[in-house]
Amino acid sequence: MTATAAWQGYSLAERDRRWAKVRANAAKAELDCVFVPLCVDGRNLHLSLEQAYGNRSDGRYLTQMENASVVLPTDGREPIVINDRGRPNAWVASPRAAEGDSRGSWGPAMAEALLELGMERARIGVTGLGRGKVTHGRALAGSISHEAYAYVLARLPNATFVPADDVVGFARYVKSDEEIACLRRGAEIATAGIERMIEVARPGVPEAELYASVMERMLELGSEYYPVALYSSPLGEPSLRYEDPPPLERMLQRGYLLTHETAAVWGGIIAQELQPILLGRLPEQWKPVVELQTELYWAGLERMLPGHPFHELIDFVNAFGEQRGLKSLILMHGRGYGDDGPLLTPQDKRAEHFRDVPFEVGNCFVWKPIAYSADERIQHSWGGCIVITERGGEPLVRRAPGVVSVL
Amino acid sequence: MSSPREPSRGGPTVHVWNGYSLAERDRRWAAVRAQAAAAGLDCVWVPLGDGVDGRYLTQLRCSSIVLPSDGRDAIVVADRGSRNSWVPEPRLIGRDWPEPMAQALMDAGMEGRRIGVVGLHGGVLSHVRAADGVAVHSALEHVRQRLPRAEFVDATDVVGRVRYVKSEEEIACLRRAVEIAEAGVDELIAGATPGVDMAGLYARVMGRMLRMGSEYYPLALSLDGERHTNPAAGLSLEAGTLLGSEVSAVWGTQVAQQDQPIFFGTPSASWQAAIDLQRRAFERGLEIMKPGATVGELLDGIAALRTPELRVAVLLHGRGAGDDGPLVSPRSSGEAARSLRFEAGNAFVWKPAVTAKDGFAFTWGGTVIITSRGAEKLFQQEHGLVRRA
Repeated sequence: MTATAAWQGYSLAERDRRWAKVRANAAKAELDCVFVPLCVDGRNLHLSLEQAYGNRSDGRYLTQMENASVVLPTDGREPIVINDRGRPNAWVASPRAAEGDSRGSWGPAMAEALLELGMERARIGVTGLGRGKVTHGRALAGSISHEAYAYVLARLPNATFVPADDVVGFARYVKSDEEIACLRRGAEIATAGIERMIEVARPGVPEAELYASVMERMLELGSEYYPVALYSSPLGEPSLRYEDPPPLERMLQRGYLLTHETAAVWGGIIAQELQPILLGRLPEQWKPVVELQTELYWAGLERMLPGHPFHELIDFVNAFGEQRGLKSLILMHGRGYGDDGPLLTPQDKRAEHFRDVPFEVGNCFVWKPIAYSADERIQHSWGGCIVITERGGEPLVRRAPGVVSVL
Repeated sequence: MSSPREPSRGGPTVHVWNGYSLAERDRRWAAVRAQAAAAGLDCVWVPLGDGVDGRYLTQLRCSSIVLPSDGRDAIVVADRGSRNSWVPEPRLIGRDWPEPMAQALMDAGMEGRRIGVVGLHGGVLSHVRAADGVAVHSALEHVRQRLPRAEFVDATDVVGRVRYVKSEEEIACLRRAVEIAEAGVDELIAGATPGVDMAGLYARVMGRMLRMGSEYYPLALSLDGERHTNPAAGLSLEAGTLLGSEVSAVWGTQVAQQDQPIFFGTPSASWQAAIDLQRRAFERGLEIMKPGATVGELLDGIAALRTPELRVAVLLHGRGAGDDGPLVSPRSSGEAARSLRFEAGNAFVWKPAVTAKDGFAFTWGGTVIITSRGAEKLFQQEHGLVRRA
């Protein structure tokens, strides 16, 4: 794989598609506008990699700007976009500078935008106030920066502010062809990162060297910086999770199992691929678990049919292992601009909040179900990005499930 | 470092560097308590959203802390099994922060008291680029409702004032971060050849610093004034290009920065005057930044170097755990910090900017600390514009 020419950004048609879909969702929710306020940065609000990246995702989704506030009227009028210096891009020709020539509060500019659009007594849908079904799933308290938002509330005392995460979220939930192409490119870059990891992973290699090599490979292919999450430990033993280079004294050793979430970002969309790597031969007792996971991976894809509710898949996966005297649990979550849902994990294996939501063509997930031995001493997860088509789930990059043994 | 066993299906425990001593913890906590008491606060509270101050006070990746001013034990709420030698028994939670934070404040007896909220607003000495602060709205509102008689006031600079003066441990870490950033600059110079792809160059520099153990901090490369903080795939370095850089590395949470411009071609003769003036400004600043001198004296001293042909401006900001102040730049004039005094233990990136009438702008510099004898440059890079044929 080689680096390609610079990505030129999403088309204006893609902008119009997103804005129209959000407006339609807002109309159904009887909102006069959707308001994306200033949100806290990921370095400060860092509950997880996904969540750090997702804090400002709604603004980026609607503007292609890293940090933007947006007021999008439901009735079709042009939105008002605010960013820090008023710098335009291909989607937004005339954003407003929040801070003028000096660094100041975003509150006044956001309040003025709402007032100018006639929202002083309106029903205003706000994103980032709390957790949505398909976005901000990890941010139970939301991600809005308090000070600027409190100013807005004070300036518009007669308006009604209501959560609108699902208004934007369910627009983000269904990807366009342009978005899927970007996710596919990201998955290819992440796969190149994994290939580099397999090349470098040898006993005696510093773990920081391994980490840096993988990041370097993905960056040279043009991915935005999104940390590899690396686990490294003797097979069967727990590992801490490293989202920065592991301590310099840590060296890979024979018998170590490397598991990881290798993520790459293209077009703002985060791909993730997983590939366990064992520095040694796979023990016999692991093989049934790995085989179960492989079967489960493919069987699950077949059940991700448009129109079918999630609970069919969830219950199928969670019962799948028992038929073979083993165990299995669902692990999947949405792909997109960050903190995309649903978030289906072993910590919430029934996923009551999402059971009745149907699959739709254009949904994208990272699909990585977990298989366990009966005593749960062995667990194995493998997977990567998929897209929902009329025929069910399809991987965006073709790789072979299993454990890579480096001998 | 201890390796806490991961609870079954409890989510992963994320490692972060946590190598400061218990004495360093006690120094920080004592200094924050003293500042809080002087400000008439009953406690300092770092809420959800202020990850930088949370890490400063706990060495945990994500935490909220209530630190009573009267010396009682801190209460720490932490994420996903996090614990370390500083905070061996935090209150562990999943993703739901508001009620555990409220409970911590109530357990510390803060209902009806005066609570200093760190990160509520931007400060002069920390969160200097976040005028609106970093506190998460919904979480903060929940806590306020649970403690309706408490008074919540901003305490950003209460902690910022402590962060402003570094300990020997912190300076040792900053020195290491500078070494890594300088290695990044070396890699940048070695890799910046005509025709090279910007993404490849970005990757090479980041790879070098990650191998040396730096935490991630975005490399900023400016191509003819356009700033890129991620790989600019498809762009290449061509003749006539001026490549600016902010190469940052992190060790022990201390963020170092080095700035080294590179030009592809033969610079015009008039540029040398700007480069020479920038050197004088850099050196003059080192002379001025002695303990007891003020930021205002630095502003005036550098402004005096201006010539009819060349503008010169102070570009200075704090170094430390992140978003450190003061911030003096073309967008932040420094007037708010004019009376701030330099102290032994301060750390800055010092990189005055000179602009010629033809638009050529030259900024060069790096990390410096203030000692009892004056300013000390922590880096070795020679002054000047690196030229590539």
